[in-house]
Amino acid sequence: MKDDGNTPVILRADGLSKRFGGRDDLLTRSLARIGLATPSPLVRAVEDVSFELRRGKVLGVVGESGCGKSTLGRMLAGLLTPSAGRVETATHEAGESFPVQMIFQDPFSSLNPRKRVRDLIGEAPRVHQIVPRADLGDWIADLMQKCGIDPSYQTRFSHEFSGGQRQRIGIARALAVKPELLICDEAVSALDVSIQAQIINLFMDLRDEFGLTYVFISHDLGVVEHISDRIVVMYLGRIVESGPAEQIFDAPAHPYTSALIDGVPRLDRRRQVYAPIKGDIPSPIDPPSGCHFHPRCPMATERCRVEAPKLREIAAGRQAACHLIDDPAF
Amino acid sequence: MSSAKTMQAVLEVANLDTSFVTASGEIKALQGVSLHVNKGEILGLVGESGSGKSLTGFSINGLISPPGRVMRGTIRLHGEPVLGRSAEDMRRLRGRRIAMIFQDPMMTLNPVLRIETQMRDALRAHETLSRAEARDRAIAALDEVGIPAPATRLTAYPHQLSGGMRQRVAIAIALLHQPDLIIADEPTTALDVTIQGQILALVQRLCRERGTALIWITHDLAVVAGIADRIAVMYAGRVVEMGPVDAVLDRPAHPYTRGLIDSVPNRNSRGRRLRQIPGRMPALTDLPEGCAFAPRCTHATPACAVMPEMRALSHARAVRCVHPLSEAPG
Ligand SMILES: Nc1ncnc2c1ncn2[C@@H]1O[C@H](COP(=O)(O)OP(=O)(O)OP(=O)(O)O)[C@@H](O)[C@H]1O
Ligand SMILES: Nc1ncnc2c1ncn2[C@@H]1O[C@H](COP(=O)(O)OP(=O)(O)OP(=O)(O)O)[C@@H](O)[C@H]1O
Ligand code: SF4
Ligand SMILES: [Mg+2]
Ligand SMILES: [Mg+2]
Repeated sequence: MKDDGNTPVILRADGLSKRFGGRDDLLTRSLARIGLATPSPLVRAVEDVSFELRRGKVLGVVGESGCGKSTLGRMLAGLLTPSAGRVETATHEAGESFPVQMIFQDPFSSLNPRKRVRDLIGEAPRVHQIVPRADLGDWIADLMQKCGIDPSYQTRFSHEFSGGQRQRIGIARALAVKPELLICDEAVSALDVSIQAQIINLFMDLRDEFGLTYVFISHDLGVVEHISDRIVVMYLGRIVESGPAEQIFDAPAHPYTSALIDGVPRLDRRRQVYAPIKGDIPSPIDPPSGCHFHPRCPMATERCRVEAPKLREIAAGRQAACHLIDDPAF
Repeated sequence: MSSAKTMQAVLEVANLDTSFVTASGEIKALQGVSLHVNKGEILGLVGESGSGKSLTGFSINGLISPPGRVMRGTIRLHGEPVLGRSAEDMRRLRGRRIAMIFQDPMMTLNPVLRIETQMRDALRAHETLSRAEARDRAIAALDEVGIPAPATRLTAYPHQLSGGMRQRVAIAIALLHQPDLIIADEPTTALDVTIQGQILALVQRLCRERGTALIWITHDLAVVAGIADRIAVMYAGRVVEMGPVDAVLDRPAHPYTRGLIDSVPNRNSRGRRLRQIPGRMPALTDLPEGCAFAPRCTHATPACAVMPEMRALSHARAVRCVHPLSEAPG
């Protein structure tokens, strides 16, 4: 990344945490005793996550299933209240626009099947007077055009479209309220590569044209590597490594990051598959002691079993949480 | 094509047509599909969503049910015809000589039965053996697919296992009778890269050790690069290119294969635009005359309006294209 430190910070997460369940008050316990409730275990879905994101940049968030990516994304988008910490955005005030929008994996469930494409895209900007009524038709047609949907399809219903087209409708809808920050949660994961390439190119065009900023959540490391300026690697709710994308992919510092990257199938790796990590993904309900990664880590030592490593700066703009990285000049 | 077949072909499919016959007419879902798999060989079957990969697998395994119908063609397993057998005969073949692994392991597993019961039932479907023998076989099979403490897992229900574990159990069941051929339909698509890597390595090893022929269906070219010996690329219900994995990925002959390869994000594409194939695959009800890829193809000429035959480029390669790319060997 060309780290032009002068583009302003648009998003800051400060000690963000989210816990689910774990209700253990008198009422729950009494109900549990007579069989009317099950005391829900405490899940630390996201734990003490901090980072900054500059305007026009793409932050990739990666990690295995259940590591807290979606929970983090929803907190950033303001759809979920943090249990601790805060999200700061330096966008315009909500009103003339909705500056933070989220795009989900399943475009179908987020689109009302009884609405026409015209209304799916145009309703929010009309109701909130983001676009003058007289310009609305052009605004919708223009967005559809940009997102690669034939504007003559305005009166169709979302169920008449393929998965890739629905995803585009979802994107057009998010863009209709003039956002500055898009949180994409597995937004291209369900698409075929040829459609995926179209959507990824679209995201990059929108960044260049409107200076959009992205948080790009995905379990597909190939896509994340392609699109991101910076990377956050999560394991069981915590950041284990973060830094510029090239550095993370070319010289990962954390053993978990290395293992994740090594496990990615690649076109140039023939008749050879790697399984760099043994064992299943542990549960965030009952995380391992010490370093959460130690039971699966090929380099774990005694210290890793008992002491949790702190996330600390290992180089400029680069952080990792691993006992093996003791040399700050690493 | 026939020149590429060897004496040890486990499966030979020739000119297979599968259709959906409805009141409004016949939808031709597979047309002229020909492929073969040799002993101990892994064939990667790739293509976009809806190209006919699963239908090919289902047709081979006798799992096409009305309104679907295999209209024409031959399928041979070790030289013996598979089509035209009685339902009972087909059931005997399935599970014992041809096994299938699905994307969702719950297609194989019954949610209300313990693992032990399911494995015993699967064994007894084709063999006569005592409870104790069945238990020993089940434990050995689970051990082989890398399930820790297999004896204790026998009492578990599927929902008590992780997704990766469930897929391992489904694989263990598929391998129980040492089948000649396994058809794996996107079995790792829903899994994390780390778990996918484990499963790929496992299946690759088991097939090599036992000489099992494997068809690995996926939309992920990189997975095929890692696991397959040969590739068959499907488009709109037809095989459009087939050959050894290195040849096809390094020097694709079909413009569609080239387009697919170019749209995969990779290390070197970082920060650049991805090449994209314009448009999308046509609906089966709306196929153009001649080459179905022509509307999206930059090499198309009027000659492409006549369906090209699958033609041999070398003893091991074939392509269905009027203007095969010149980088491929002639
Ligand atoms: N509403 C909820 N109540 C209880 N637990 C929850 C809730 N939402 C999420 N969790 C738990 O929080 C953890 C993090 O979930 P999250 O969906 O953020 O993971 P993720 O990284 O997005 O996973 P995936 O890659 O599978 O989408 C998981 O253990 C999940 O089960
Ligand atoms: N019952 C049916 N009636 C009509 N068409 C069907 C039916 N089942 C499948 N098809 C069509 O057959 C074609 C091939 O489907 P198939 O499931 O084999 O695709 P695929 O390559 O496995 O795709 P995916 O990657 O999405 O699994 C699709 O166009 C599908 O719409
Ligand atoms: S046959 Fe013609 S249209 Fe089809 S892929 Fe080849 S060049 Fe393109
Ligand atoms: Mg998620
Ligand atoms: Mg399929």
